[in-house]
Amino acid sequence: MIQLKTMLNCIDNSGAAVVECALIVGQKRHATIGDRFVAIVQKQRGASDAGMGAASAANKVKRGDIRHAIVVRTKKKVQRPDGSVVRFDDNACVLINKSGDPIGTRVNGVVGAELRRRKWSKILSMAPTHA
Amino acid sequence: MLTHTTARRPLGAWKSVLRHARQQRPTPVSLLRTMTTQTTPDTPSAVEPPPPPMPAATPKPSPPKPYLHSLKPQRPNTPTRSTFAVYPRVPSSRALTPAPLESYHAQQVRRLDRKGLRTRLFSKANPDAAKPGDVLQVTTKRGEPFAGVCLSIRRAGVDTAILLRNTMTKIGVEMWYKIYSPNILGIEIVWRRPKRARRARLMYMRQPKHDMGNVDHLVSEWRRTRNVFSSKGKAGKGKDASATGAKGRR
Repeated sequence: MIQLKTMLNCIDNSGAAVVECALIVGQKRHATIGDRFVAIVQKQRGASDAGMGAASAANKVKRGDIRHAIVVRTKKKVQRPDGSVVRFDDNACVLINKSGDPIGTRVNGVVGAELRRRKWSKILSMAPTHA
Repeated sequence: MLTHTTARRPLGAWKSVLRHARQQRPTPVSLLRTMTTQTTPDTPSAVEPPPPPMPAATPKPSPPKPYLHSLKPQRPNTPTRSTFAVYPRVPSSRALTPAPLESYHAQQVRRLDRKGLRTRLFSKANPDAAKPGDVLQVTTKRGEPFAGVCLSIRRAGVDTAILLRNTMTKIGVEMWYKIYSPNILGIEIVWRRPKRARRARLMYMRQPKHDMGNVDHLVSEWRRTRNVFSSKGKAGKGKDASATGAKGRR
């Protein structure tokens, strides 16, 4: 249930750590797993532990960037066609570019299996596990 | 770890000893092996579900016969109508016809769970039933089996569902499964909580203080013990044997 101003964890290695939802692409009230939204990078990864200069060299996105992203985990329960329901402990996303390819090269953490139904199998294959 | 302690001090855990004794009783081999709910490999199209109980089949009560009630005429010289029929009360149809929703649920459960194993695994009457706090593993038709600690059992006829929680890559994942779903091949008890949980819904286990974390070590240990009992010759193979044991479930 991602809506305007929701803060999500970004779990790829694009350089963003926390992003904020600015708009949900499509005529939707809330985004769920597999939905695309416009994200603003609020926190950069490695900005705190490493120096800003060292981090920004590897990071593809910077704080304040506006990118598209795909929701991969939600705290809100998501029901599957067979009646089972999945729920995660956090909201997480993966950044993509305008054409739909992931910006990062790897995904750290479990993602929802709904991505296959929503035709995001590229993200699904990058993830270590899916539930 | 728990199994070793109980093996060393059998009197230390009365509950598991009694459970063991119950399972030593002459039971069918399928029941003796473990408390599983594997479905038979029969094709659903080949077998027809039993016909639903027909409410119309019950013999229809014939209309009750009235009897004539006569009044004593108070004024004998003026003729009044002094006799009329009294009809007895019609018996309630509620007692005769089965409750439609309950019978429908029972019929669907019978259709989806032919041997009654899943009903037994979660029935309150069964002392060996799966309870909240136990670690269960659900094997589905597609994807990997999901193991997790059972947080709650939602009993609702054929819609009965269980909530399992596990931690994958440091993220908590919760899954609701319908226990009678035909997509579920089996539900197995991986680990029993040593003491009965004193709540029916263990939602507090979402808090970091009470979270069990990942249950994969329990699952791998359970697989190892199961392989020791099931295949005598291949027990020494270790990793390979456990991998086939995980996949090659009949």
